[in-house]
Amino acid sequence: MEFFAAAFAMAYQFGDAFAFLVISCAGLAIIFGMMGIINLAHGEFIMCGAYVTASTARMGLPLPLAILCGALVAGIVGMLVERIVIRHLYQRPLDSIIATWGISLIATQGVLIVLGSTMQGIGTPLGSIEVGDRSYSAYRLVLMAAAVALLIGLYFLFYHTRFGVIARATIQRPQMAQALGVDTRRVYGLTFGLGAALAGLAGGLYAPTMTMVPTMGATFIVESFVTVVVGGADIFVGAAPAAVILAAIRASLTAWYGQLFGQIGLLIAVIVVIRVMPGGLSAWIKGTRQ
Amino acid sequence: MDRPDTPHTDEPLVAETQIERRSALAIWISRLEGPQTMGRGPVFWATAALVVLAAILYPLFSDPFAVGNSAYFMVWTFMAMGLGVVWGYTGALSFGQTAFFGLAGYAYGVLTINFGAAYGFTWIALMISVALGGLFAMLIGYFMFYGRIKGVFVGIVTLSVTLVLETFMAQTAGPQWRIGEARLNGFNGMSGMPPLTIPWPGGDVLLYPGVGLYYVLLAMVVLCYLGLRMLLNAPFGNVLVAIRENPERAEMLGYDTRAYQMLSFALGGALAGLSGALYTAWGQYITPSSMGLTAAALPIVWVAVGGRRDITATLLGTLAVLFAFQLLTVYGSQYALIVMGALLLFTVLLTPEGLIATAMRWLGRLVGRAKR
Amino acid sequence: MIKTWKTGISAAALAGAAALVAAGPGFAQDAIKIGVLEDQSGDFAAATNVKVHAIELAAEEINAAGGIDGRPVELVIYDTQSDNRRYQEFMRRVLQQDQVDVVFAGFSSASREAYRPIVNQFDGLAFYNNQYEGGVCDANMIVTGAVPEQQFSTLIPWMMETYGNNVYTIAADYNFGQISAEWVRQIVDENGGAMVGEEFIPLGVSQFSQTIQNIQASEADFVVTLLVGAAQASYYEQAASADVGLPMASSVNVGQGYEHKRFTPPSLSQMYVTTNYIEEIDTPESQAFLEKFRAKFPEEPYINQEAANSYIAMNLYKQLVERAGTTEREALREVIAEGDVCFDGPSGTVCLDPKSQHMSHTIFLAKVEEDHSISFPRVWENIAPYWLGDAGCDLTQNDPSAQYTPSNPPPAN
Repeated sequence: MEFFAAAFAMAYQFGDAFAFLVISCAGLAIIFGMMGIINLAHGEFIMCGAYVTASTARMGLPLPLAILCGALVAGIVGMLVERIVIRHLYQRPLDSIIATWGISLIATQGVLIVLGSTMQGIGTPLGSIEVGDRSYSAYRLVLMAAAVALLIGLYFLFYHTRFGVIARATIQRPQMAQALGVDTRRVYGLTFGLGAALAGLAGGLYAPTMTMVPTMGATFIVESFVTVVVGGADIFVGAAPAAVILAAIRASLTAWYGQLFGQIGLLIAVIVVIRVMPGGLSAWIKGTRQ
Repeated sequence: MDRPDTPHTDEPLVAETQIERRSALAIWISRLEGPQTMGRGPVFWATAALVVLAAILYPLFSDPFAVGNSAYFMVWTFMAMGLGVVWGYTGALSFGQTAFFGLAGYAYGVLTINFGAAYGFTWIALMISVALGGLFAMLIGYFMFYGRIKGVFVGIVTLSVTLVLETFMAQTAGPQWRIGEARLNGFNGMSGMPPLTIPWPGGDVLLYPGVGLYYVLLAMVVLCYLGLRMLLNAPFGNVLVAIRENPERAEMLGYDTRAYQMLSFALGGALAGLSGALYTAWGQYITPSSMGLTAAALPIVWVAVGGRRDITATLLGTLAVLFAFQLLTVYGSQYALIVMGALLLFTVLLTPEGLIATAMRWLGRLVGRAKR
Repeated sequence: MIKTWKTGISAAALAGAAALVAAGPGFAQDAIKIGVLEDQSGDFAAATNVKVHAIELAAEEINAAGGIDGRPVELVIYDTQSDNRRYQEFMRRVLQQDQVDVVFAGFSSASREAYRPIVNQFDGLAFYNNQYEGGVCDANMIVTGAVPEQQFSTLIPWMMETYGNNVYTIAADYNFGQISAEWVRQIVDENGGAMVGEEFIPLGVSQFSQTIQNIQASEADFVVTLLVGAAQASYYEQAASADVGLPMASSVNVGQGYEHKRFTPPSLSQMYVTTNYIEEIDTPESQAFLEKFRAKFPEEPYINQEAANSYIAMNLYKQLVERAGTTEREALREVIAEGDVCFDGPSGTVCLDPKSQHMSHTIFLAKVEEDHSISFPRVWENIAPYWLGDAGCDLTQNDPSAQYTPSNPPPAN
């Protein structure tokens, strides 16, 4: 029993770090990993999802529906942003840094002016569970399940639906896809919207556990970039194993040496990975397969 | 034995010796103009001279605050010009110039707090700090370019480096974190270092923000600008541009692109370090947040808004953005950040080359037409 | 081109000076200019907007009552955007260009350290109206916020008496957190308790599963939470949902960021905070202050201790200038040296300590209940900021312009 409790504690910490990395990076993995747009407004899409989730939940909508609402609104906002701004920047990926940083400034400060400096949170549902002599938040187990479900769902979407095939084709060989009659602009728009919606989903899922402020997205951004970069362009071959490895690094460093080393370890892992395998894990895995 | 073609062979020989006789200085001066920099001919240089003259006369017509504030703006231009070389000319987007900025800033603090400011030591400390910034950049550059990291990943590695430094420095509040007399002092930042001083009989001249510092910085900006113009039009600069345009081609032509990229990166790091050390001396304060995410994004904004592919546009753009953002903060109240964001979007969407670069091209065409 | 921008600066500055808050009519003499540098946007805006409003309220009252020594008060307000560099720029601006008589500035300790060298260089006078980690011994600074000895020498012994001797500290990993944790450690030790854990969290961390587990694994009787910033505030929600169930003690929460209003109950229940003012305090002085504040700013989300401190600081400055008959700094400091500069304000009577130029406070122990209402189990009257003076800082004798900590005290001489 003692052993079981200790094992559960470790698994819980690992799962928690894993869930955070996967959920926060999913949207970025599509926008940055697949489309090559460096989206510094990723955190603001997360904030958007969280705000919508919190306000709809407080209006009486059940939490799962509220989270979906958050994702949906973030997705729509994402498609608007793509149409107005990002569409003009596909040939200039580095300029997208400046444009999305501008969007992020406008969004953060705009929310601050319109909605005030803070927003009342919604409590974490489901209470706690007892394992051994410790208690754990049950909602975080839901988050872990959500992370796994998210990966499976995305895999299904990209490999087993018509949209997925077209989207991958468009992103890998735009001219070819266009020649075959694909409306590539629409596909780009939808893909960006999907990325934004996933960011909104991350915000919605974490909204009950966090403080609601306009700058809340910033706490996600470093972790998400780290995961995507270590993972490389392909979210399934790359981001999922990257999240596993980084979660292990983070959970163990945090457990043994404290939060500071968890934080620094993550950043150093990125530098090393880029140096050893410039294309990220996914390129490396694909390379060894051949 | 008279061969009819002898005079013919003589002619080019003479010409060659004439070229050799041109001093190295003349060659470098001729490189003030060239394919890699905008602006040539008497109109341009006359305008430039007028601008410098206006800048020299400016303190006579202005109040001390405005002069000190202009000096403060000039502090940042070195980092921007360095990023211009690394990003605009070499094509490697560094997101972490603030790492070298911060390193040099802390180095200046540690050195001057430990060794004082007597006998103009602050200038030696400044030079050591700049060298450290450059060396650290060279190390990171070696690590990246010899590892064949390119594109966006250069940005990610450099950003990670600066964030590691920030996270680490932020927790050095305890008394055990000290180098000699200098306490690193964590997130609150290090203070208590002297400003730049000029040794002078009858008491050193302290260069607090004001007219003195303004002239020193103005001279440094002008020298740095002209120096970079010469360097960029020299073979070194041409190779950098060749790498930006097509790295494979440059390599096929026999250039070791890795070494060139690393050297360009080191130059950028040294210039960022110069800004860092000057900033620390200016405010007698340096903090980890000057290596954070927001601080790291700022130089990119300056360079992009001005125009990254030309050093003149970078310089003027940086000054313009710094000034505009400060003005917005003063009068824009809570809308300042929103207007800044909109300005960035506007620039990126409508003037992809950068505001100043586009304006300069437009002006140049106007002058050309007037001549005809 | 450079030329036009730069004349632009001075022209714009002139326009700015003209557009400043206009002084009321009927004053013959020059206005007393007060610079206000606070974060009205960015990370800290939630806690600091109210400070600006408190200063505006005090200025209005002072002007309505005939100004300071017959001179109207004029505010010069800049938004520092939670950015240290803006503090440096604007501190130079108010001192050099706007020529203000005094500056009210700063929220984070980093921002104070950023502007302090500039205040020293121009030999100005600044009020720092924030609770902080303590230790600033600088003749150019007057501090009205509470310091650790005031908040912890009251809070920790009370908590140990009530809940037990085993203490677990989690603190933000920077100066404020580390120095406060040092104070906690020392006071726990003096009272015969034991530190069963101490953990430092880098700024910006928002996920606390491991920390929560460490706390549960320890034998702690209560947790001292010295967390700072919106990201770290997520701890409470996460700890509550993991059912940690231990009482918490803090010097920063509730009084500053009104977490009990923002978070869903009961995530903050059993939190004990020592503060010198919060809007729930039910004294007649507090209620009167609250009424005036709400009348002028009905939209204000919460009136926190920093708002009260800023309001008090304005009134202390009025008293100093009127007693000295000038705004000249050394004359004001001579008045402080008399040792009887006190003010009856929203938080009771407060006095300035001549040695450290810090302020004494009535310290309220606020307890957050299950439904996030506040009760006050204990009040300590007139707690002095004793540490700096005892450690050897005496601004009436000399001015080291330095910040000290218990492990880095003033040099003995």
